[in-house]
Amino acid sequence: MNPAEIALHPFERPASLAELCRTLSTRAVRKEKTVLLAGGTDWIVERRLAPLESPDDLPLVLDVSRLPEMRAIHVAKEHAAIGAAATFLEIKSHPVLSRRVPVLTAMAREVGAVQIQARGTLGGNLATASPAADGAAALMALDADVVLASVTGERRVPLTQFFTGYRATRRAENEAIVRVEFALPRTGAHQMWRKVGTRAAQAISKVAFAAVVELEHGRGVRAGFGMASVAPVTASLPTVRALALAPNLASVSEQELEAATRRDITPIDDLRSTAAYRAHVAVALVKCFFRSLRTAIGS
Amino acid sequence: MALVGRSVPRADGPAKVSGTAHYVDDLTRPGVLLGATLRSPVARGRLRGIRRDPAFDWAGVTVVTAEDVPVNVVALIEEDQPVLAADEIRHAYEPLALVAAEDPVRLAGALRALTPEIEPLPPVLTVADALARKAQIHGSDNIFATYRISKGDAARAIARSPVRLNGTYRTPHQEQLYIEPQGMLAFWDACGAHLQGSLQCPFYVQKGVKRTFSLDDAHVDVTQAVTGGGFGGKEEYPTLLALHALLLAKKSGQPVKMIYDRQEDIEATTKRHPCEVTIESGCDREGNLSAVSINVLMDGGAYVTLTPVVLSRGALHAAGAYRWDHVAIEAVAVATNTPPNGAFRGFGAPQTIWAIERHMDRIARELSLDPLLLREKNLLRVGDTTPTGQLLKESVGIQRCVEEAKKASGWDTKRATLGRAAPVRPVAAMQRQTAPGGSASRKARGIGASVFLHGAGFTGSGERKLKGRVAIDMFRAPSEKKPRFRIRTASTDIGQGTETVFLQIAADVLRVPMDRVEFATPSTAVVPDSGPTVASRTVMIVGSIVESAARELFARIEYERQKRGGSFDDAALRLLADQDPVVSEKTYEPPAELAWDDATYRGDAYPVFAWGCDIAEVEVDLDTFETAVLGFWAAHDVGKAIHPLMCKGQIEGGTLQAIGWALNERLVVKDGKILNARMSTYIVPTSLDAPRFTTILVEDPYSKGPGGGAKGIGELPMDGGAPAIAAAIEHATGIIRDDLPLLPEDLFAARQTGT
Amino acid sequence: MKITFVLNGRSRTIDAPPLARLLDVLRGTLGLTGTKEGCGEGECGSCTVLLDGVPVNACLVAAGQCDGRTVLTVEGLENKDGLSDLQDAFVTEGGAQCGICTPGFLMAARALLAGNPQPGEGEIREGIAGNVCRCTGYQRIVESIRHAGKERASREPG
Repeated sequence: MNPAEIALHPFERPASLAELCRTLSTRAVRKEKTVLLAGGTDWIVERRLAPLESPDDLPLVLDVSRLPEMRAIHVAKEHAAIGAAATFLEIKSHPVLSRRVPVLTAMAREVGAVQIQARGTLGGNLATASPAADGAAALMALDADVVLASVTGERRVPLTQFFTGYRATRRAENEAIVRVEFALPRTGAHQMWRKVGTRAAQAISKVAFAAVVELEHGRGVRAGFGMASVAPVTASLPTVRALALAPNLASVSEQELEAATRRDITPIDDLRSTAAYRAHVAVALVKCFFRSLRTAIGS
Repeated sequence: MALVGRSVPRADGPAKVSGTAHYVDDLTRPGVLLGATLRSPVARGRLRGIRRDPAFDWAGVTVVTAEDVPVNVVALIEEDQPVLAADEIRHAYEPLALVAAEDPVRLAGALRALTPEIEPLPPVLTVADALARKAQIHGSDNIFATYRISKGDAARAIARSPVRLNGTYRTPHQEQLYIEPQGMLAFWDACGAHLQGSLQCPFYVQKGVKRTFSLDDAHVDVTQAVTGGGFGGKEEYPTLLALHALLLAKKSGQPVKMIYDRQEDIEATTKRHPCEVTIESGCDREGNLSAVSINVLMDGGAYVTLTPVVLSRGALHAAGAYRWDHVAIEAVAVATNTPPNGAFRGFGAPQTIWAIERHMDRIARELSLDPLLLREKNLLRVGDTTPTGQLLKESVGIQRCVEEAKKASGWDTKRATLGRAAPVRPVAAMQRQTAPGGSASRKARGIGASVFLHGAGFTGSGERKLKGRVAIDMFRAPSEKKPRFRIRTASTDIGQGTETVFLQIAADVLRVPMDRVEFATPSTAVVPDSGPTVASRTVMIVGSIVESAARELFARIEYERQKRGGSFDDAALRLLADQDPVVSEKTYEPPAELAWDDATYRGDAYPVFAWGCDIAEVEVDLDTFETAVLGFWAAHDVGKAIHPLMCKGQIEGGTLQAIGWALNERLVVKDGKILNARMSTYIVPTSLDAPRFTTILVEDPYSKGPGGGAKGIGELPMDGGAPAIAAAIEHATGIIRDDLPLLPEDLFAARQTGT
Repeated sequence: MKITFVLNGRSRTIDAPPLARLLDVLRGTLGLTGTKEGCGEGECGSCTVLLDGVPVNACLVAAGQCDGRTVLTVEGLENKDGLSDLQDAFVTEGGAQCGICTPGFLMAARALLAGNPQPGEGEIREGIAGNVCRCTGYQRIVESIRHAGKERASREPG
């Protein structure tokens, strides 16, 4: 549709999460389409590319960008909760997160550039469910939970189970993603963020890799991985996880790592890259991370 | 103190930094309608009709089809392109109909309510299919143009050479991606047609309007709006857009504004010609070059546009900056059913310079010579002749460029210590916090160079035929005691700094401060035809006309001063008392000794050449094949830098376009359609991709250049960037690429296949 | 919908569809054409304005989301003496060529300098990485911003 036609959508700004949930509930029952708008960095772009529906059938847009319940970032001693409408800029500027969860901070710093960081949100990343979403990859490595709210209360879905297919999630029509929660990696955990994008900034990932591994006495006791743009949904690399938790990390061979990575991904050719290149990079990044783990054990 | 040679504040700067500079989309008129274009979804076919949805409310909507076009041709070199397709459709996105409405929502609806009825025809999508005449789409042979350049006996000399090497080198499309999309505002009144738009060449647009509407000069006024970049993309294309806007304005009886959105701009407007160059060379074992045979093959797209001229310039630069006793060049451009290709900075030369520079690296590789040493051995010097037999008489600063670039970059040391000469660094211990870009990957560094030249001004007898004119007015402004001056020229400032540079040149000659000289907005109603803003000709050619017009005016004032005394201003005011304004109009006088034969392609192809040496240092990630440009040294012989800061700005900006062409940009064309016509998918470099440039201005003056010897340098910096990057990647990784681009996927694939 | 916000230091109330792009409201309804459109999808940064002091792409901001907030555009950069140091630096240091991207760069730079008065080259490049320029190769833009930072520092001793 023409950008001017986007203005034809009805728009409301709920004053509270409760009001938002009520509206969602009513509309879901009536099978009316609703869109939650935070930063608009995906939705507005996608609307432009979409064909115009009948003017009477345009979804209602609910602005959630300033709902206090969805904006807060709470970091406790061992636990973090990040509001779905908190921006990447707020995440990357958070002093405790940058100390405890550098994988998240580094990710936020590489989303688009400052203008997109100022608008984009984790909630948006999860709701649009793009396999290229950097935020989802980092949260996957943190084994985050997605907290969904509706008139009946809250429920939690582990992120590893949240995506059900290409751009599809477990969020019901009457639910809003309110925040993500995750246990903070313990001090000294090995964290890696590496984005291979179409350029150094303002880029969408060809492959992005997030890893969080906690070591104890020379072996992995907690391992999380996330990879963007290598499968229809954000990849959690289960086979690679299992290798990271192997009793003898030092004995994991390069061949095993390559085979595990290739088993965990199904990359494709698209406008940004090729399947062969993506597979190569995915393997290289996994190997690179494991080399550093082995170095850490050795030292 | 002289202004020329000083980096004075940019004259159009304050308006641009305060948001008060008016680009075409910032302009409006009472009753203005918005216009849009219905385009072909297929690459080739027959247009059977355009169906209008009867359910749509057409009130207040204007629709224009081919039947509404008085003379349905776009007047360029040839008249093969229709303003709107009437019968045969020759490329995807070809304009079929136009609509105008009062607001964007109505406009979008109207466009959707039009459906073209097309009988598809099998398209010719590749150069090979065009040459094989898979279908006849232009003339009898699908060939737009052919040129041959010959010096000595290349075939025989190559056969006798101890070292014979050949290679084929390819370059793809490139999109100009000026940040301001194309746009035009049109209206009619009793005086005729009026246009204001984003454009490089007001008189090109005027020519097209005159032809299509059968009007004379006096009834077509084309005025440049502040223009947000062009790079050649706003050379010939705006003529078509102007015709569209005028057709809608004529039929609706209201002003019409047409502004392309980014996707439409990338899909429909011209690109750099894809090119394939095959080179065979002969030299001795010490690397003394003797003979070269070059075949150039360009894809012109669906219509002629400027293809013959692009091809000609490509051919004339194909032998590079080197001495060859024997040269044979054959250049051919063909038609395909893809969007027409056209002008883009460099105009054919970047394609052939890529080829010859990669070929020079091939020779160096074969002979195990330092690639820059091989080049230095064979550089053109004063007294040498080019492939067309042009004797180089002066201003050949290339040797100094090479020396300066080598010194500044630390070439000798880096060439010896980086790349395959250096051990691959061990995997660094991973830091707990991974900074962006920082990683534990393995990386390799390398350094590479290119040497190149670019002919300034029109080719051959172009300037002699064109007879560019410039006027300077002296006038008295109300409430001012001193006379003021106004430069009137058709040369547009599209960012390169024309306005400032012309003010510097004129003010120096007139010996007045710069703020007493003005630059008239280029408008065909106001300025004489100085020729188009193309071909690196603005400063060197038009600047020299500005200089000579200012000299004449100064001489008249000085004569008056000597005759009747007083100050310069007194004398000027006395002249103004008789006649206000006092006008000096000058016509370009090409150097008398320049001789060119279009029939044989022999003689002085260009008045003079600008020269350059680029050196790139890169770091390639051996895991991901991403290339980071760590340093870039550009030493360019500009003759004389009128405004050193803007001159460097031109060199850096042009070089980054070349680096983007090499490392980021890839236009994906399938079935004649462009799949990545968005800024999120057609990737150009950001500030974090761009290297820090070390730009060295070498000044070997051209005796006929303005301001003490300036040469044209607008296009030169587009020529050397890509081959320097390719050479550096080769040095770092051993991956040899003869084709652009050099995206990570390309390097990965090359490494996989061992090429 | 009635939308009230502080624009360039002055409270304004406009009536616009809430999902109209802030870009169209600025350029159309309010007649402030200094903010430019280059791509319409948040890639080029030409439409950068500051929303509560933070750079955003006005093509991706719904006007209704600006209710009760502050917006600064290029038209609000000048001070009582005319061009600000930052604008002046773009004129004298070659930061503007064709000028279409310039307002966006100025806004991104303004936000950067507000939080970091004397940024290093890397910080400048990261701060303007969301703005695409096709003319300059970025170097003169980086120098202009660096120059503006120095100018300010030289006038504020200590």
